[in-house]
Amino acid sequence: MSGDQHTARALRVDVAQTEPMPLHGRFECAAGELLALVGPSGAGKTSMLRVLAGLMRPQRGRIEVGTQLWCDSEQGIFLPPQRRHVGLVFQNYALMPHLSALDNVALALLHLPARECSAQARRWLDHVHLSLEQQQRRPGALSGGQQQRVAVARALAREPRLLLLDEPFSAVDQMSRQALYRLLADLRSDLDIPILLVTHDLNEARLLADRLVVMDAGSVLQEGPPEHIHRAPRNARVADLVGIHNRFQGVWVGPSGKAGWGLLKWVSAAGGDNGDMLLEVRDKGKIKPGQPVNWVVPGDGILLGADGIGQALEATVSDARHLGEITLASLTLQHDPQISLRITLAGPQRRRIASGDRLALRLDPALVHVMPLHQRPPGLSPD
Amino acid sequence: MDWQAFSLSIELAAVTLLVLLPPGVLGARWLARTRFSGKAWIEAFVVLPLVLPPTVLGYYLLVSLGAGSPFGAWMLDTFDIRMTFNFAGLLIASLVFNIPFIVQPVQRAFEAIPENLAEAAAVCGLSGWQTFWRVELPLAWPGILSAMVLTFVHTLGEFGVVLMMGGSIPGETKTVAIAIYDRVQSFDLAGADRMALLLLALSLGAVAASFFASARLAARR
Repeated sequence: MSGDQHTARALRVDVAQTEPMPLHGRFECAAGELLALVGPSGAGKTSMLRVLAGLMRPQRGRIEVGTQLWCDSEQGIFLPPQRRHVGLVFQNYALMPHLSALDNVALALLHLPARECSAQARRWLDHVHLSLEQQQRRPGALSGGQQQRVAVARALAREPRLLLLDEPFSAVDQMSRQALYRLLADLRSDLDIPILLVTHDLNEARLLADRLVVMDAGSVLQEGPPEHIHRAPRNARVADLVGIHNRFQGVWVGPSGKAGWGLLKWVSAAGGDNGDMLLEVRDKGKIKPGQPVNWVVPGDGILLGADGIGQALEATVSDARHLGEITLASLTLQHDPQISLRITLAGPQRRRIASGDRLALRLDPALVHVMPLHQRPPGLSPD
Repeated sequence: MDWQAFSLSIELAAVTLLVLLPPGVLGARWLARTRFSGKAWIEAFVVLPLVLPPTVLGYYLLVSLGAGSPFGAWMLDTFDIRMTFNFAGLLIASLVFNIPFIVQPVQRAFEAIPENLAEAAAVCGLSGWQTFWRVELPLAWPGILSAMVLTFVHTLGEFGVVLMMGGSIPGETKTVAIAIYDRVQSFDLAGADRMALLLLALSLGAVAASFFASARLAARR
């Protein structure tokens, strides 16, 4: 597949509205790519999906899928959902309760002659592994996972140029969830269209998505590959939204003397005077000395043991929970007991940790990410 | 037994239902799906025939449509149509009187349909009419059915408005309810008895049948 072909079917979105609810954002999704819209409830994820499906007309915006223009407020273009060829899997599936699974899927195929319509519908339901007997049942007589597969089949039967999934995994049990993850993985390789997934489950988003779009209060805060957003969140709000536990405050001191490196003063949230705890971290030259900052370090940037790269710190285990195959532990710093870190351990080293233990740890300076603290609240665009 | 009055009542009920059903269903759907500031007033007008004494309703209809009224005089002069004391007058009165019996239950039935089903239909490519015929109408059907039965039975038993607008002309405006009243007035209790019993049995049967049908439809969901 050539890159040109991917862009020729890609989704490009730019939406800006203030009424009836604020919605701002700009992102792209290539064909064959799975993009996850993440954020807390009320962040505008579902509204964004409705705009893409044509169920809501944005005040200002432009939506393109490949060469087709679906919406352009400047030219007064707004295609209704009937003319968009969107596959949308609703949060509660929105299956027609009076129609069998087969007839539900056939609804998306009404343009075909009756016989071909039901043959196609059957083919799509076979594709999502619904038995012939289940295909004749009404949604009320199907399990949650089966209903969802009917909803997916109905969305696919539309031969969509864009597939939208609204919290598709929220109402099904763990077993069905695993099966649906597999189904989604298959779909991605079979269909060469942009796929958008709305979810508030970050693990799910990380597991499935090529890229994340982080939304809050109607605005897109950051867009990028999950690992990039985890390494380098744009601001403290993004760090909180994507579940980065180890977020701290500090003051940028300035260059450390070593080229490309700078000094960061670690300050506890309570602001107590704890003497100078300085960390030497990477300096991109973007922050002025004396600037208050937030900084984060991902879990794999916290290393146990006194020897190796990074600055050694003394800590006490304040809490250790052994959950299944992993252990979650909270550590407080010897230097300033008001500062605590959270780590996740797996494998043999987790057995050695217990509440009250003292241990040495290091922060990988290359993984420390520093974000200048702005006075302006996040998510507010300047215009 | 006054079969003439009885068949007139059946005819009136059937024609009322036939004329009122299509606009009633469309109006009810519109009320169920639209939100605007003056909606409460429209809904109040829809319910008005239910709470107004039938004689008051009949009086206003008589005054506004009678040959002495400007509209009634114009209809008479232009089309030679008289709108009171004949079957047409009876029908007009019956239509107005039955508006709440059609609109209210059907509106509730449409309101009970989750809005995202219509959205799902639109995303599937269904036009507004296709969505109405294939999704909304089948789902609202139990409500529509019971509204039809109520309207029919209610028309059979109508008295006050009918008397005000139609009088009691045998074969023209004398319905079964008026016939029963006439029998009682002339102390023919045996005649009144038979007709009252028939009306009772018919009404009870129809309403019970519609409830059974609704319950069966609901059980299939």
